[in-house]
Amino acid sequence: MSSESPDALVAWVNHRGRDLPEDGVTEDLPLLAGRHLTSLHIPELILLLERISGREVEVDRLQAGDFQDLRTIRAKFLAPAR
Amino acid sequence: MTATLTSAGLTWLPSGQAMLAGPLQQLFLECDTALAALAGDTGAEPAEHPVFLAVDDLERINYLASFPHLATFPVTLEESGLPAFAADPVDESGAVRLRGISPVRNVITPAACYHVYVQLRDQRIEGPRYLTFRNTCVRRETEYQPLRRQWSFRMREIVCLGSRAQVKAFLDRYRDLVSGLLIELGLEVSWQIATDPFFQPSRNPAYLAQRLNPTKHEAVFGGDLAIASVNLHEDHFGEAFSISTDEGPVSSGCVAFGLERWLYAITTRYGADPANWPDPVAAAGRVLERHR
Repeated sequence: MSSESPDALVAWVNHRGRDLPEDGVTEDLPLLAGRHLTSLHIPELILLLERISGREVEVDRLQAGDFQDLRTIRAKFLAPAR
Repeated sequence: MTATLTSAGLTWLPSGQAMLAGPLQQLFLECDTALAALAGDTGAEPAEHPVFLAVDDLERINYLASFPHLATFPVTLEESGLPAFAADPVDESGAVRLRGISPVRNVITPAACYHVYVQLRDQRIEGPRYLTFRNTCVRRETEYQPLRRQWSFRMREIVCLGSRAQVKAFLDRYRDLVSGLLIELGLEVSWQIATDPFFQPSRNPAYLAQRLNPTKHEAVFGGDLAIASVNLHEDHFGEAFSISTDEGPVSSGCVAFGLERWLYAITTRYGADPANWPDPVAAAGRVLERHR
């Protein structure tokens, strides 16, 4: 994971998300369930995560809750590869 | 089971369609009446809808890109080609020799509730609005099974349009009512997270959204047959059809029932002898009484 990745993700959500809190997205804000992101954002988010992590997101293996909030996204897709 | 259901009124056609008569037709009507009675719990307005949906309308939700494999089109012939067509309309294999087809601008209804959003297009909704209706739906499939998976089948739906909170409360209420009815009828189901049958799903953002944030739950009978579904559309249809509330695009949700599948579930559970079948209308009455 590159050092600027957390900022890039936060910046993207703050730029693309809708009806966000005044101070911007928080770690536990429910992104899809709260309708801050919609289906139209998902392909772009997947590409962003691939760019940040340098790893492909296996779309067929995505599961309920994987994009729940920033904390989950970081843990699932941006944690250093083991 | 299909063979034994013949005596109860089932005629199965090789095209993937069923004819009903006698006791099975009576059970069909009773199931639909029972579900319409559940719809009455919210005072849902009854509605009637046509057979076709305009492609122009379905394009607002990218239907043909998302579900091309399910679509069946009403096709008509150009006036000028009629004499030649009439002279030799069918080939040796029994297929129609289609020539000079008029532009196709409609799809035969694939899901009953799409008509609602067409009907309410460009309208402002005051408070929650509930509608219920039954329509024949047509979905092309790779294979068909009597009462389980048919080219044409009947769907009863109850739809709510309103705020997100109103729609979610409606869906919670109806999941309880439907569960209650299924228990009354002795039909064991498991509620499962589901997705719509998208074409090339992993490339479709709408499918990915359903996977990541489930909005569809199905009552599954016998391990593999969905006989009811509870669906939260968010503002997908409100936005696409410019249906709004004071706060923006309306949210919507629906509860849908494949009626032939209810016949399958009941006859699988109780057999082909109508004397053993439960009374769906009385069962719905008991459920409504209990949930009052």
